Amino acid sequence: MKKFLFLIREDIQNQLEGSDEEFEAGIQEMTKWVEELAESGNYIGGEPLKSVGKYVSKDHVVSDGPFIEAKEVISGYLFIQAQNINQAASIAQSCPEVLNGNIVIEVRPIVSLEND
Amino acid sequence: MTDTEAMVQQEVNRLYKSHYGKMVSSLLYFSQNIDLESAEDLVQDAFASAITSWRENGIPNNPGGWIFKVCRNKALNKIKQGEKVRGFFENEDFDAIETKQSESPIDDQQLKLLFACAHPDFSPKVQVVITLKYVINLKVEAIAKILAMTIDGVDKLLLRARQKIRDEKILFTEPDLHFLKYRIPIVHKIIYLIFNEGYKSSWGKEIIREELCEDALLMNKALLESGVGNKETAALHAMMLFNAARFKARFGNNGELLDLEEQDRSLWNKEVILYASKFLSQSQGGEISSYHYEAAIAYLHCSAKNFKVTDWLSISKLYHQLLENNPNPFVEMNYAIALYYAGQKKKALDILNQLQQKPFLNQYYLLNAALGKINLLEGNDTKARSYFEKTLKQTDSLSEKEYIQKLIDKLK
Repeated sequence: MKKFLFLIREDIQNQLEGSDEEFEAGIQEMTKWVEELAESGNYIGGEPLKSVGKYVSKDHVVSDGPFIEAKEVISGYLFIQAQNINQAASIAQSCPEVLNGNIVIEVRPIVSLEND
Repeated sequence: MTDTEAMVQQEVNRLYKSHYGKMVSSLLYFSQNIDLESAEDLVQDAFASAITSWRENGIPNNPGGWIFKVCRNKALNKIKQGEKVRGFFENEDFDAIETKQSESPIDDQQLKLLFACAHPDFSPKVQVVITLKYVINLKVEAIAKILAMTIDGVDKLLLRARQKIRDEKILFTEPDLHFLKYRIPIVHKIIYLIFNEGYKSSWGKEIIREELCEDALLMNKALLESGVGNKETAALHAMMLFNAARFKARFGNNGELLDLEEQDRSLWNKEVILYASKFLSQSQGGEISSYHYEAAIAYLHCSAKNFKVTDWLSISKLYHQLLENNPNPFVEMNYAIALYYAGQKKKALDILNQLQQKPFLNQYYLLNAALGKINLLEGNDTKARSYFEKTLKQTDSLSEKEYIQKLIDKLK
């Protein structure tokens, strides 16, 4: 099994404007999905992220507020294990919020430092 | 419906259930130019023709062969004249066809399909969906119901899977030994997940659920009998049988959900438990897998005279080992519950409260139900009530809602 990071990307407007009920329903759907991933032995961990943060670079610090120039924010991450990148992508595809078109998942393999 | 019509319908349903996937895969083998979707359409057409024709002319002697022949003719009409086809349908005796093509270590066509569905590029969910479709031969509507998905959702998953099945000829490659060995863990997982879907109590007493558990057991038995299965297969078999032995006792006379403590243990099937124990001993002597731990936990439950004298300490230790194999907050919850009944109340509550802080887990109805139950037992009625009320909002299952409501009614 190899490890992967799922970066959950969401439209910034969606996230700011969605109602509480929509948010709750989304969380319920995701919880069911994560439970399935745990049952099949793919789930390792994950957390939602706030859309407000600080942007740090060499010369300046932009703070407080989503990054206006970006259309999407990373609204959470999941840490999973899968047979290979194709299976990881297939798992991401089965996410109900992806199927609904509410989020996009970027699948990134974790670099393994062991020799395999 | 007349008697004949009913008989025809019954025979067609039976054949669909036993042969759908095999016919589709045979058509794919028959010609390179038939894609999966057309193959499925052809097979469905042939079943429809069978209903019409058999109502008029009666059921033929070899109904499977009849449908197969119709499939072949429909396929020949569809593909270009003169195109090379393989001699897959030459023998019209359907049973003979099955035994003809066996260069691979497994003869069973259904088992071959199962290994084909265990493609490592598919997510476990897709693997389960295509197994239900092509190995267990369920229609999309039934799959949607079982997995609590919409028909559209299942179709979307199938659409993506079909592309790959077609491109890589997944349903009709002859698996060699190396391939089989590599895929066995995936096959185990598929069987395990399908059994779990059947066993989930949230559905109440539904026949379709029990059949699903039976299907999982049948696939696993075929795996054991083929000689391809290993010690893990035996452990998985024991685990499923121990749970299946308790299947009927989980619901009361009015179909209400009963927890482990309330169940009438005399209804647990002792023969099945004994049979399961055989597989548990058969599974010993190799590496210990998570199926071994789960089987051992199920065994300890089955062999306890009542809830109180259950060997909770050993169960908690087994859960602990299971966690070391596969760290998973959902299993951790079960570990904590076992610890609680083993008398280690503080440690149990610490773990449950910690889990409550975790994302996803705080929205998980079973965690809130467990916290509610423990607070109820500890006499913290106010806390218990708030956890139960959370649970009510987090499950859509009627039988689970009723169960929680029953607990709320016990509170002062």
